[in-house]
Amino acid sequence: MPTSSENDKFELVQQPIDAAALVKFVRADLDGAIVTFDGFVRNQSHGRPTNYLEYESYAPMALQKMREIGQLIHETFAVDRMVIVHRLGRLEIGETSVFIAVSAPHRAAAFAACRFAIDTLKKTVPIWKKEYFADGAVWADGELPPAPPSQKTAS
Amino acid sequence: MPPVAATLRVKVLFFGPIRELCGMSEESVQIPKGATLNDLFASYAVRYPKLPGFRSSLVASRNQELAAWDTPIGNEDEIAFLPPVSGG
Repeated sequence: MPTSSENDKFELVQQPIDAAALVKFVRADLDGAIVTFDGFVRNQSHGRPTNYLEYESYAPMALQKMREIGQLIHETFAVDRMVIVHRLGRLEIGETSVFIAVSAPHRAAAFAACRFAIDTLKKTVPIWKKEYFADGAVWADGELPPAPPSQKTAS
Repeated sequence: MPPVAATLRVKVLFFGPIRELCGMSEESVQIPKGATLNDLFASYAVRYPKLPGFRSSLVASRNQELAAWDTPIGNEDEIAFLPPVSGG
């Protein structure tokens, strides 16, 4: 398998995500499996009813981090193609916020790579989610990406 | 010889709760030559007294790469103080 693919797609979009088109995009004759992850807006957070969500990103850095995830996946798993698409702006209950699809000749690599992609995205890609409730709004608890070591101690 | 600039011009970006706290998405500022990310953050902490409370839950970036707080800033750098990420 190549360590990167011109057939990968990493995007931030404002409009609804067309999951079926993305699944088709990663499907190729050399593959035997596609695993997808569809992350969508839940109607509650810790039992508190949610009205809607808003996502924002540091777009150029977010895309770079998504491409790095892709590169790591090609180095680690025997997969063919992948797409990672994250939506920004206001999302209603049930709408897809992130969609990932990975194709591979064999299913084990596709499952592992898809899991790795969403887990890593949630830790490293600069995207932020604000949850709007009937009685207020909060920024979702997130994960702080690990900072590189101090240059002073490194040198 | 052209005079050596004593200051650097940098673009600073704000996201999520930090954008709301500072009331802006970005600004261009002049800072002393030799300043680090820590120094730049300290200058915002003076302007926004609630900001220091966020310090332990922020990570700095320089030119779209995560960077240690003692990283020196260069002219025309793009800096951001990123809150915990919550995509997905």
